[in-house]
Amino acid sequence: MEHWFVFSETEMSAIGLSFKVALWCAVLVLPIAVLMGWWLARKTFRGKSLIEGFINLPLVLPPVATGFILLLLLGTKGLIGHWLNELLGIRIAFTYYAAVIASMIVSFPLAVRAIRLSIEMVDPGFEEAARTLGASTFQSFVRVTLPLALPGIISGFVLSFARSLGEFGATIIFAGNISGETQTIPLALFNQIQMPGMESSAFRLLLVAVLFSFLAMAFSEYLVKKLHKRN
Amino acid sequence: MHALSAHLKRSKGDFSLDIEVDFIQGITGIFGPSGAGKTTLMHLLVGLEKPDEGFLKIEETTMVDTFKNIYEPARNRKVGYVFQEGRLFPHMNVRKNLLFAAKYIPKGKQVIEFTELVNLLELNNLLEKRPGQLSGGEKQRVAIGRALLSSPKLLLMDEPFSSLDVKLRRQIIPYLIKINRKFNIPMLVVSHDLPDLLSLTRELFLLKNGRVLGHGNYLDLIEQENMLDVMRGAGLMNVIQFRVEAHDKKNGLTILSNKDASEEISIEREMVLDCCQIGDEMNVSLRPEDIALTLEEIPNISIRNQLPGTIVKVIQKENRNYCLVDVGFKLLISITHASLLKMELSEGKKVWCLFKSMALQTNT
Repeated sequence: MEHWFVFSETEMSAIGLSFKVALWCAVLVLPIAVLMGWWLARKTFRGKSLIEGFINLPLVLPPVATGFILLLLLGTKGLIGHWLNELLGIRIAFTYYAAVIASMIVSFPLAVRAIRLSIEMVDPGFEEAARTLGASTFQSFVRVTLPLALPGIISGFVLSFARSLGEFGATIIFAGNISGETQTIPLALFNQIQMPGMESSAFRLLLVAVLFSFLAMAFSEYLVKKLHKRN
Repeated sequence: MHALSAHLKRSKGDFSLDIEVDFIQGITGIFGPSGAGKTTLMHLLVGLEKPDEGFLKIEETTMVDTFKNIYEPARNRKVGYVFQEGRLFPHMNVRKNLLFAAKYIPKGKQVIEFTELVNLLELNNLLEKRPGQLSGGEKQRVAIGRALLSSPKLLLMDEPFSSLDVKLRRQIIPYLIKINRKFNIPMLVVSHDLPDLLSLTRELFLLKNGRVLGHGNYLDLIEQENMLDVMRGAGLMNVIQFRVEAHDKKNGLTILSNKDASEEISIEREMVLDCCQIGDEMNVSLRPEDIALTLEEIPNISIRNQLPGTIVKVIQKENRNYCLVDVGFKLLISITHASLLKMELSEGKKVWCLFKSMALQTNT
């Protein structure tokens, strides 16, 4: 029984990697999602629904298919990947970066949706007021819209962090299941479940996954509540 | 020098706006029924909407000229705009709201000083509060202050009274007059409420269906054909500026005198304690329905104000009749058709205007 709560090296690396991948994913997704959310919330243009559909594709596509598309694009023999490889010597597929990119693509629509909704809730009249007071469009966005949409932006960040923690399909196809490099908690969990006698390891990983997700949600709830109090 | 001159055209669906407007200084009112294009005009002036065609000059600077392809965005126009709903930033306290524009004004170019403005608008106790904690009148004052602290060349106000109840309206008017006098900022005030607008200014632009029907002094406008129709529904009102001469405490009356009149005219008003001090200027409003006409002075009557004058114009519109009487200043009087006939009232006739002290309303 005593070894049930002792984490092995593989498990520790999976936990650390999961956290790192999820954090990088959320940090990198955030600015792009804010821009895209603002663009979709405030602008009307031809082909808008086409762009929306494209962004939301990873939501409905099986993650494995998303991973496959990424492989076709960025793999060493892929459409873009082979140029990167030949000209710059950059290899993305089956590396740590591939894990981050797979997470980003899959969590992007979730983050955009949360942020866009919260920006839509902010009366554009406030931006107009800011502009009559001398602010540029960008300044009025940063000083007025962004702070007012902050709860949605935080939840966008947490959602993409949490989605990345749970990411499996796209990662295993595009980044592989390499211990210490791309093997995050879900991938490690998948391995341990398949191997007989590894129930305790699977159980520990499960526990950490639950804990991580729970903490992320609690943290976002706390921030949003605090913001509401402030306003 | 014009504070503003513009000729702007814009069509939106069925509605088309084609407006020429210019004014020099002081307070100018823009009056019109809803749907006349008042807000669209404001948006064009301030830079929140683009005209299809036309030009806009503020002082000597061309802000818009569609023929020369000039279009300055809102932030460069130096036009303070007080929105109908205030639009205070809910995530900032009053102080931060007021200082929002400070970042965009070069050092030393600030025309209005923060402390001075805060004192003038009596915002001292509100600075740390958030917009959500303010009353309607307080919000309005903060919105005015915020616009003024952007050091504007002119101030536009869209329906500054509409979100306030009657009592608060009376309170905001003196602030606006103070601002105009103290900072010498030309103001353009839009309203669909004529009595409120008249308590600020008698210089009006009349708007209907996206066109200017007329502009000039209110009483001159009334004399013009068709103007009365536009204005009547909004509540016609006499607004006259008086100076407080004396308080007659024994009889509970305040003696007022008019400075526009050729000879001094004294009227009496029911005394309201603490409302005003001797020497104060105040706008007094008097409904045309509250004035009676007689052909001679009537000594034994409770009506204390009896002013002799000459009928300048008789306006007959459908079943409503008005007389414009010059008693030293012009008074608009509502009268029935029967009386008009019975008294044989016509232009040039000498009459007495009678109104009770209690019929006078003050807006300070």
